[in-house]
Parts: sequence; C-alpha cells; structure tokens
Amino acid sequence: MKKFFLGLAMLPAPLWRSMGADTAQLRAILDVRLTLDDRNPTGIGRQQKLKKDRKYATLLNTVMFLFMGFFYMLPLTVITDRVLSLTIYFALLLTVTTFMLITDFSNVLFDARDKYIIFPRPVSDRTIVLARMLHVFIYLFRVIVPLSLPGWVMLGWIDGWKSATLFVLPLMMLLFMALFIVNGVYLLVLRLAKPEKFKDVISYFQVFAAVIFFTSVYFLPRLFDAEHPHDFSLLNYAWVRFTPPYWLASCWSWIGYHGIFNGSVLYGVLAIVCPLLCLFILVKFLAPQFAQRISGIDTVENMSYKPVAAGKSGKVSGSRFYAKLADIFNRSDDAKAGFMIAWLQTSRSRSFRMRVFPSFAFVPVYFVYMLTQGHQSFSYSFQHLADGSKFLLLLYMSSFVMISAMNYVTMSDQYKAAWVYYSVPLVTPGKVMIGAFKAIWVKYYFPFFIALAAFVLYVWGVSAILDIVLAFVNVTLFISVLARISQRHLPFSIVEQMKQGGARIFKSILGMFIPLALGFGHYAAVHIWWLKVIFLGLSAILLWLVWDSYANTSWQNMIKGEEQ
Amino acid sequence: MEPIITVRHLSKKYGDKVVLKDINLDIYPGQIIGYIGPNGAGKSTTVKILTGIIQDYSGEVMVMGKSLRENIMEVKSKVGYIPELADIYDLLTPAEYLAFIGKLYHLADNVVEERSRRMLTSFGLMENINQRMDSFSKGMKQKVLITSGLLHNPSIVILDEPLSGLDANAVILVKELLQALKQEGKTIFYCSHMMDVVEKVSDRIVLIDQGAIIADGTITELRAGGNDSLEQIFSRLTSGGDQVQVADDLAAAMR
Repeated sequence: MKKFFLGLAMLPAPLWRSMGADTAQLRAILDVRLTLDDRNPTGIGRQQKLKKDRKYATLLNTVMFLFMGFFYMLPLTVITDRVLSLTIYFALLLTVTTFMLITDFSNVLFDARDKYIIFPRPVSDRTIVLARMLHVFIYLFRVIVPLSLPGWVMLGWIDGWKSATLFVLPLMMLLFMALFIVNGVYLLVLRLAKPEKFKDVISYFQVFAAVIFFTSVYFLPRLFDAEHPHDFSLLNYAWVRFTPPYWLASCWSWIGYHGIFNGSVLYGVLAIVCPLLCLFILVKFLAPQFAQRISGIDTVENMSYKPVAAGKSGKVSGSRFYAKLADIFNRSDDAKAGFMIAWLQTSRSRSFRMRVFPSFAFVPVYFVYMLTQGHQSFSYSFQHLADGSKFLLLLYMSSFVMISAMNYVTMSDQYKAAWVYYSVPLVTPGKVMIGAFKAIWVKYYFPFFIALAAFVLYVWGVSAILDIVLAFVNVTLFISVLARISQRHLPFSIVEQMKQGGARIFKSILGMFIPLALGFGHYAAVHIWWLKVIFLGLSAILLWLVWDSYANTSWQNMIKGEEQ
Repeated sequence: MEPIITVRHLSKKYGDKVVLKDINLDIYPGQIIGYIGPNGAGKSTTVKILTGIIQDYSGEVMVMGKSLRENIMEVKSKVGYIPELADIYDLLTPAEYLAFIGKLYHLADNVVEERSRRMLTSFGLMENINQRMDSFSKGMKQKVLITSGLLHNPSIVILDEPLSGLDANAVILVKELLQALKQEGKTIFYCSHMMDVVEKVSDRIVLIDQGAIIADGTITELRAGGNDSLEQIFSRLTSGGDQVQVADDLAAAMR
C-alpha cells in the first residue's frame, strides 16, 4: 500500500522539481511519514491492542471506510432525483473527510518533530511544505477511495461506466474543498485562540465533531421521511443552492448525463472554479501561513509556563477544594491520593476529555432517539413525555458517563509515571483505586445526574424523588460492581486502548445486562413505594459492601496489564 | 558494623535472558556506593529489586536486618527512589505531585508543604511550584523527582542516573546534596554513567557487567597502585580499553 501511494505521489516528480522541491528528499520524507502512519495508525487502527495487530491497521481502516461508503451510498439507491441524491452524497463525503482530517489527522499534522529532525538538515521550505501537503493528500486518498468506491460502483451500475469514470472530477474537487475548509478552520482557531491553547481548542472541536457525527447518524434519516423520498425536493430549500455539494452534484449531472437543467451550467462552473480557487488560495497563502503557525505552537508549548488558577499562594496541599473533597470522601491517605490524582489529571488530560466528554451528549441523544422510536414524530413524543416512567430510561442511561470515565481513568500516555505506586509503601492498591473512583463519581457523575434529576423533577414532578434516589444508588452500585470485577488497575497506569480483551468483552456484557436488570427491577416496583424503599435499602447495603471489597483489592488481585 | 543492605546470590531472568547473576553485596550505613556498568549490565534491574518494584527474583535481599520479600512495605517506607527518566505525571504542578506523593507516604500535609517548599527553593523551583510540569524542561522535572524521593526523609536513598538532564549548577548541587545526605547518616546507592562524579562522591565503587560484579572497592583499591581514572578503569574492565581503536574506525568510516 505504502509503495503504491509513494509511487503515485512521486509520479509528477518533474512538476515538484519545477516547483523548487528536491524530489529525492521529498520521497525520503514521504516514505518515512507513510511508514510511521502504518506503525502508529490513525482511525480505528489506533485502537489495536498489540503491535502485530497494528500491521493490519491500514487494511482495517480501509475496510471500515468501505463499510461507511456502503452506508453513505444509500441515497444514490433510494432517491431517483440524481441531483438530490448526489447533493446528499457529496455533503456526507465532504463532512466525513473534513471531520476525519480534523479529528484523526491533527496529531500527525501537528507533529513538531520535524523541527528537530528535518529542519536542521539542508532541506528547503518548499520541500517541507510540499511533503506536508502530499502527506495530507495521501491520507485523504486513503479515506476517500474506499469511502466513495461503493458509490462509484453503484453509479456505474445505474448510469453506466462512462458516467462513473467522470465521477472522479467532482471527487477531486471535493478533496480540494475539504483541504481548504480544514486549513481555514485551523487558521481561524489559531487566530482566535492563543497558540498554547490551540491543541485544547482542537480537542474540544474533536469532541464536538464526535457528538455531531453520532447525532447525525441517529437523526439524519428522520429529517427527511424515508418512506416518501420522492416527495422531497431540494428546490424547497433555496439555501442549498449556495452549498458546494449542490454545485458538485449539478456539475456531475451535467457532465455525467449531458442533460442541462435549470442553472446546472452555472453551478457546474462554480463546482470547478471554486475548488480550484480554493486550491490556489490554499497553496499560495494558507499552507505557508499554516506551517509557520505550527512551528510557533511548538515553540510556545516548550517555552511557556502555564500557572494553574488555583493555589497561587503556593500551597502544597490542604486548602484546595479537591483536597477538602478528598478528605470528606475518603478516610485513608492512599484513597485521598487516588482521589486527588484522578481529580487533577482528568481535568487536564486532552485524551480523557476527548474520550469521556462525548458520553455526556450521548445520553440525551440516545434518550431522544429511544423516545422517538416507532415512527413517532418529535412533537408527539415530547407532548407525551410525562406519560409513564420514561425518566427511568434517562436516569439509568446516565451510567454511560460513569462507565466511560471509569474506563479512561486508568489509562494515560504517561503510564510510565505509574512506577511511583510500586516504589511507595502502598499496602492495598484498592485504596488508591476507590479514591480515584470516588473522584470521578463526585466530579463527573454526580453533577450530571443532578442535571438529569432536575429535568426529571421538572417534567414528572416531585413524585419522582424516590425513583431518582433509587436510580442514583442503583447506577452507582452497578458501576461499582463493574469496577470491582474489571477495573483493577491503578489510575493512569496503563497504555491507552490496551486493556485486556476478555475483561472488556465481559464488561460490555455486564454493561448491558446489569443496568437492564436493575432498571427492570426498578420499573417493576415503580408504583409500589414501600418496595422501592426496600430496594433502596438493599442496594445501599450492597453498594457499601462492594466499595469495601473494591477498596481492599490486594496486589495479587490486580489485573495484569501493560503497567511497568 | 552491621550492613544496612545485604544482598546474597541475587539473580534475575527475563524469560531466558539472565540479567543478574549471583550478586553478593554488603552495604554499610552512611556509605555512598557508586554502582556503575555499561548499558544493559543490570544496574537498573538491581535498583528496581532494591526498591521493591521488581519482586520476582531469586536470592535474598535484607534491608536493615529484615527480609525485603517479607517486609516490603516497611522497607519501601525507609527507601527513597529517584529514577533515571523524568517519568512523572506532568499535567500536575510540583505542588500537586508532591502532595500526592506525600499522601502515599502518609505524611502530614504541613510536613509535605514545609519540606517541598524548602527543597524546591533550594532547587530554584519555588516560583514554578504552581505551574504545570508539562512545560518544564527535563532537568526541572528531574529536580521535582529528586524532591519527591527525599520527601519522606528516607534512611536509604537509591538514585538511578539522577543527573540526567540537569545543568552544570544543578549537577554540582546534587553532588553536594549527596555529601550532605551522607553527613546526615543516610546510605546512598548511586547508579551513574558520569564517572567523574562517581569517582568524586563515592566511598566505594561496584562495577557490574553482564549481570555480574566484576570489581568492588574504593577508588584507590580499584586503581591497584596505578594512577588510572575511574573512566579508564571502567573502559579497561568492560570493553578491553579499545575505545581509541573504535573511534578511529568510526572516523575512518566517514572518509
């Protein structure tokens, strides 16, 4: 794969030479970058457990994009109006490639090691900029080819292979636009945010993108009635004509069908001129500015000191809010230490934020999705929201947040710093683990649950109070059982995404059945208040026992992971 | 005098690879032991065993008359460990990191605060006490690690390349610190590649190569009547002293 892409990138070598690049150096830089991509893959390959699995990461990514391509191809099969189907298709492709570039490729783009490895060598700026651009192009190619292949095949089947061949033109234009948008977004962020905050802003953007992506997968099909796609007309939405996907669709229908409909010439011309203009602006202005700013980020990161807001007095411990909470919620020093480190690290770790924060949005999205199942409209579902005990679904779904936070509190790219647990006189590692558990319970779960409870009280009234308390205890109980069984790692002590496969599968199964069982138990007792009180009492006793057992986890009972 | 650390027939394997072979050592209170050897000789493995990080070994290690295996927590509370690489939770500030370490040693908050303040002031880091360490240089992180290793006032201090990343002034400071700790009666077990420092600060030097001790004694004893520096002795014992030839070969390869 690497050789193929490298060969492809170097095909126009005379052109690169005429642009002032040293093609031998360019080839060498690209070769190394593509090798690194294969060994430290983005996308799903990043989540492979072992190095040997990573060998197949690029292939796995391709298969995943191919699968996504089948999903995105659906509009082409169900909608006969070609401009409409292609507009939706191009909109999906443009959104996905743009988001993939920002969310997945940022780490590669902002890898500042060039500064130390390439910059000191006699390599010209033009070679470096061109290498960066070609690297991005190859990445996009790896995304767009499998992603668009099913659509390509479908168009060839429906409209003939000549039309399908011409499809490459709008796809190229789409790539140029995606590149332009991404560079534009980066430069805008760089302009608005302080350089040292750049990576934080991008990580929040990644969280936002994940939520949007997730939400759109669930709700986009509902936005146009899938039962009556023929009744839907783009002409009802004038703004659509100002969007690039519409231009690209018009362009293709023009060149692919030789049929000219109203305004298609104009839009077809726009579809070609606009991306080329974008490419020109990108190469001439954005890319050099971007390269300059990136090197600025690295300099700022290494030079700047970032005082934390709290504790300017120079206090080492004791008077801070988290330290007070640690004292309140824990008795032993080891548990307090676990509480403190989990509280502090989770606030500052980008990877923790990126992985956990989307789950806060998933809960309401899932809830609304479940609520509107069965072909009910949004308005009907919301008008009848207060009927029955649907709030139980929402309250029990809140466990997603805690599961996610609990999962990632053990992982860190600084896992090597966990040597400290093994050099101190830590008799019972469970104490540190229960402290960390309580920290995320207090910091993330409790406020989130309170917000959900406030919503439940607003819609269903104060009669739901006992149910809210019972759900809170039950969810905490369930999460604690999960932690006791499968979360026997010290905080921030294992490599990200390297948890034991068996434990993860087991946890997933537990993750589905225990809350279901507890939720159904609660649902069965929802109208019998005394049964709920007994249930609450039992759950509370069980919770206390589970916490005690978790806190007493010994070194022998720790799960062997990727620790030191 | 009774040894504070006694090592008998210590061996360690990683799979089929033997890393330590029948190590025997007696370390006495108040001594500074320089533990040196080439890369991969087994220094760090020895250190990790002495600090209780590695518990799967054969042989016996006694610390303050007690078996390390049977009294590991008691031993850990008496030992301060300063590792080679600045592997530290650098999203925390020095204040937060030291408070965390203090809790793991069950130290009172005021004790942690007082000791941290004094030690970080000595290292010139007091003004950085509330800054996140991800913006620190390697040397600054190393100073925080040194502070964390001494926070609980250990009787035995084990240092694995503590000078890595430190600037010249900090190196002098650490050398003086080792002497000061010795004056306080602490026992120092000191691994390093910096031969000149080891030569100057150590009361006794133990040279390890391929998992076995190949020399043990004071610098005078190692010289055996000659006038060689520790660097020359080290080179002679671990590589046959052919470094000049190797350097010539390297230079010739460029021509």
